[in-house]
Amino acid sequence: MSPDVWKKLTSDPLFILGTALFAIMAFLLVGGSWLGVHDPHDMSFAPLSSPSLQHWLGVNDGGMDIFAELLAGIKNTLVFSLLVGFASLLLGVVIGMLCAWVGGLTDQLLMRFSDILLAIPSVMILILVAAFFRVSAPVLGLILAAMTWPTTAKIVRAQALVIRKSLHIQAARHMGASGFYIIRRHMLPELFPVYLVGFAAKLRMAISMETTLSFLGLFDPARKSLGMMINYALKYYYLDIWWNWFLPPVLCLTMLIMATTLITLSMERVFDPRLGGFVEAGSR
Amino acid sequence: MPATPRKHIISAYLLAGLILIVASYSLPLWLPGDFVTAAYSGSEITLTAAQAQKVRAFYAHDQSLGSYMADMFTLKWGYSYIFQVPISELILEALPWTLVLMGSAHVLATVIGFIAGVEMAWRRGSLVEKFGVGGATVMAGIPELGVGVILLLVFSLHLGWFPAAGGKTVYADYAGCAQLLDLGRHLALPLTTLFLAYLPANFFLTRGSMVLILGQQFLETARVKGLPPVRIRYAHAARNALLPLATHFGMRFAFMVTGAVVVETIFAYPGLGALLFNAITLRDLPLIQAIVLFSSLAVLAVNLCLEFVYAFLDPRVRYVS
Repeated sequence: MSPDVWKKLTSDPLFILGTALFAIMAFLLVGGSWLGVHDPHDMSFAPLSSPSLQHWLGVNDGGMDIFAELLAGIKNTLVFSLLVGFASLLLGVVIGMLCAWVGGLTDQLLMRFSDILLAIPSVMILILVAAFFRVSAPVLGLILAAMTWPTTAKIVRAQALVIRKSLHIQAARHMGASGFYIIRRHMLPELFPVYLVGFAAKLRMAISMETTLSFLGLFDPARKSLGMMINYALKYYYLDIWWNWFLPPVLCLTMLIMATTLITLSMERVFDPRLGGFVEAGSR
Repeated sequence: MPATPRKHIISAYLLAGLILIVASYSLPLWLPGDFVTAAYSGSEITLTAAQAQKVRAFYAHDQSLGSYMADMFTLKWGYSYIFQVPISELILEALPWTLVLMGSAHVLATVIGFIAGVEMAWRRGSLVEKFGVGGATVMAGIPELGVGVILLLVFSLHLGWFPAAGGKTVYADYAGCAQLLDLGRHLALPLTTLFLAYLPANFFLTRGSMVLILGQQFLETARVKGLPPVRIRYAHAARNALLPLATHFGMRFAFMVTGAVVVETIFAYPGLGALLFNAITLRDLPLIQAIVLFSSLAVLAVNLCLEFVYAFLDPRVRYVS
């Protein structure tokens, strides 16, 4: 990526705002664990007590510190989403590149398969797997990645087909470079912006999917998450807990989604609007 | 993106539908134990061998794939563990609510997103456009889970303007206008949430394609001919932005389902999503399986129909090969 584009990206207000939001979340996570919060699974506090110096956001119905729960929830959401983002991106880039380079029947079959995956609502498959087999969060994440690679693969394939025809690739081929060498030295680095946009869009999708699944109660109940906290807090709407129990997870979730959205939109704007990470990778 | 031949996509969808049905048929085989052990393993109740046998005979489909599919098409989808009624009854009862909710949210979001996208692209660089894009960006950044719960707390629990749950007032014998008003009041909050969730993607997509179209020469010609701006905007330019909107609907539809499940759950709207949530909480495995299969097939079917709509919308899309 040229320094010019990088400068344009880092001076884009959307990008700055998005990164700042991420920085706040990171600060909250690091600062929280540095200050020594309670164990999120410790159930020994007085249930439903109001915020105090001991418990910054009070205690939930199960006698657990809400601030500690919140930090654990953010961490779990981020770990899940990063796993999905990386796995899905890796699959998408490898398959997209393979299709563009090999072509023929392999390309045909993989592209048909990706059309099928795009048409199936992944949330339904995840719900089915989670409900029937009670798998762990990383396994669900990998299944989600296995269902969401096509958006990246299609964009990588289309862009790689364009680059493949360009003169310097032709020159490299005439000089006897192997396919692997050309892909590694020329094609993979040149598509770098595509990976960035794809990764940010996948991260956004994974965060909202993780909160959806945990809100529906499909993860292990002992696993702290923002969606689960919102679900539990909603059950006590008649108590005056909305600002210390209910609002913090909603705000944190919104900040995470907002950060990834801003970064995706800004990268699309700077690199190439036709990369379409936001719209194509399914805004939800 | 290079267009894939329509014929191949259609056959791929049909194949995907078949795979889903076969996977759903063989799902009990993959379970450790079966439906019965899966449902009763975590519970306090211990079944005797005879009872387990009886339950198994009632729920398990000891049938061939052929008769499974025949049952599927004749609405014999088995029984729900918890509600003890035919699954088809539950699903068909919930379906209209979901269709109304998702359908109206989608139509509203598409029409308003399209018009806003066209107008904003036309006024590119103006203050109005900057505010519009900024607003849509913020909207895209707020998850429907956040919008939904905040609308619920503010407008129905705090202010009490709208009902907090359900699709209609039970036991209230409304007729005519009063009934419609009651349905509308229940629909308002979930509809707003989904509308806000679907709107930004439509807006950005239309605006993006309009910006590219507006630079083209045929619009210069239209302007030189002295046509009124509204006519240039819609009859000449916006027409070309319609197709990307339609093709992207298929791509986003599978993701839109996620939002509908969440929103129906938050507002306890009596649709398929809330039914699915209840089935998950009560561990009603046959019902979960049926809803997942039904909705996945429905999404596939809609995508399949869209393939024909594209050809109708754009004369350039033809059945090649």
